[in-house]
Amino acid sequence: MGVIKKHLTITKIAWQRALTYRFTVLAHRLGELGEMLVLILMWAAIYSGGGVIKGYSYREMITYILLGNLINVVVRNWLSSVVSRDIADGTLSQFLVKPMPYLRYILFREVGRISVAFAFSVVSSLLVIFFFTRYFIINTAPLMLAALAAIILLAFVTELLLSFLVGLIAFWTTEVDGIYATIDRLKKFFAGGYFPISLLPPVFVKASFLLPFGYSFFVPVQLYLGKIGIETAALGILIQLFWLALLYGIIQLVWNRGIKKYEGVGI
Amino acid sequence: MPIIEVKNLSKTYEYYKKEPGFIQSLKGLFRREKLYAQAVSEINFSIEEGELVGFLGPNGAGKTTTLKMLSGILHPSGGEARVLGYVPWKRQAAYQKQFALIMGQKNQLWWDLPAMESFILNKEIYEIPDAEFGKNLDELVDLLGVREILSVPVRKLSLGQRMKCELIAALLHKPRVLFLDEPTIGLDVVAQKNIRDFIKRYNREKKTTIILTSHYMEDIKELCERVIIIDHSRILYDGKLAELINKYAAHKQLTVTFNDHGVSREQVERFGELAEFSPYKIVIRVERSKAKDAAAAILASELPVDDILIDEVEIDEVVRRIFKNTR
Repeated sequence: MGVIKKHLTITKIAWQRALTYRFTVLAHRLGELGEMLVLILMWAAIYSGGGVIKGYSYREMITYILLGNLINVVVRNWLSSVVSRDIADGTLSQFLVKPMPYLRYILFREVGRISVAFAFSVVSSLLVIFFFTRYFIINTAPLMLAALAAIILLAFVTELLLSFLVGLIAFWTTEVDGIYATIDRLKKFFAGGYFPISLLPPVFVKASFLLPFGYSFFVPVQLYLGKIGIETAALGILIQLFWLALLYGIIQLVWNRGIKKYEGVGI
Repeated sequence: MPIIEVKNLSKTYEYYKKEPGFIQSLKGLFRREKLYAQAVSEINFSIEEGELVGFLGPNGAGKTTTLKMLSGILHPSGGEARVLGYVPWKRQAAYQKQFALIMGQKNQLWWDLPAMESFILNKEIYEIPDAEFGKNLDELVDLLGVREILSVPVRKLSLGQRMKCELIAALLHKPRVLFLDEPTIGLDVVAQKNIRDFIKRYNREKKTTIILTSHYMEDIKELCERVIIIDHSRILYDGKLAELINKYAAHKQLTVTFNDHGVSREQVERFGELAEFSPYKIVIRVERSKAKDAAAAILASELPVDDILIDEVEIDEVVRRIFKNTR
């Protein structure tokens, strides 16, 4: 009990802090909403002649964008900038003297920190879906929904570890913003965030399945649309678990190296 | 047995040489020259439980680096240290629960939230039982007189109030060892004194071992019986503050006041080195052993002496002179 309470306290306090910035958060969400509408407009124009593109009907494409964005706002985080700032300005020292590992502390804090943005985003995404109900494909197969939930949950944790790892770059260089922006774009591409990866040659689809990024957008929507079966989804979950373990291992390695460096320059 | 033991502790920082200019920066992308800076070199000291020791030294002398090694943030380049029997840089939770580090220039409190939230967080991180937390918090809050501000967001507090809350956050788990790095930096005179009084009282009542660094001589004079003076990464002096004066202040000061028409410079120059001169008041510096004789000579002279005082040289001045000599 105590252990759970300990970690939830961190989350709760971060959540309270996030609430103090609710208007900024809300403003950001409006921008995102605009971006999503632009995508929908674009596809509407492309499909105006009717027909099917690479196996996607108009309704499937709209569902892809709407559901994909909903999943994306559920799994994302902004941990890398937090971690890099802690390292660059020496705040990390505060955590090194405390009887709790930094990774654990910062993960629970991030969950609280993103909670407000999360809530706003989910609500606004659902509103848009409601607005486009006519085009949105409904699928309620229970087994599929269960697999979908598992994939999304694992993707959430994977994204946290990925961000943490990227944030650790700050141990070696103080100029990290450019690197982060580039990594984010690559991630979004392989995740199918710009358009379904299946519009590209099959090798990209394969890459998207094997890399961890696709599970934050492309793979779960493919499952929802019935374009992949439950067996493929199960295999996907195994790949996700493999990535989680690998990322955790890499984080330990990079962290230990980074800390040595941190000590060396004595920030 | 000492609670803190430091043997030949050293720390060398690595950094890269950076030449100014665009071409040099480009070169730096391919080949960089590694440089080393000795922050602490082979220092030795030990501290007994309950002592309040002051680290004194100019910026960059190695005070903060030493505290960072003792609190486990930095790994030394050489030597050993034990605090409460632990090697600090192993960062064992059992050690971390028994000490605290406060840096005057960094805060651990959550900026946008009331200090109380940060206290609750520390309660969980340090696994402080409910009853003990309540008791410690009450005691600290009363001692520092900050009950009304606990529910105000930290960013709205004054610097002095914030430092008080920082102290509470760091002391909730009742550390046996406390490292204070510039706890009064930037505070006004009243706030400085408040913090000082609190530290003094806390050390006396709880027998907490404290190492304190400060730029302000006032802090050290008020709080520390023992000082360790560090400059250029080495220890120059380790001992009682009072003895520092005997050892390093070779002079005493004679302050003489005159009445009638006062005196002229020529009349008094022969008694010693003039530190201050005005016709009615002079300050002369005389060798320690000759102070009495000089005073007697002045009294015996035909000068219109009103009063004469023999003083020790100010400690600030002694310290300043120590640092000047090592440069």
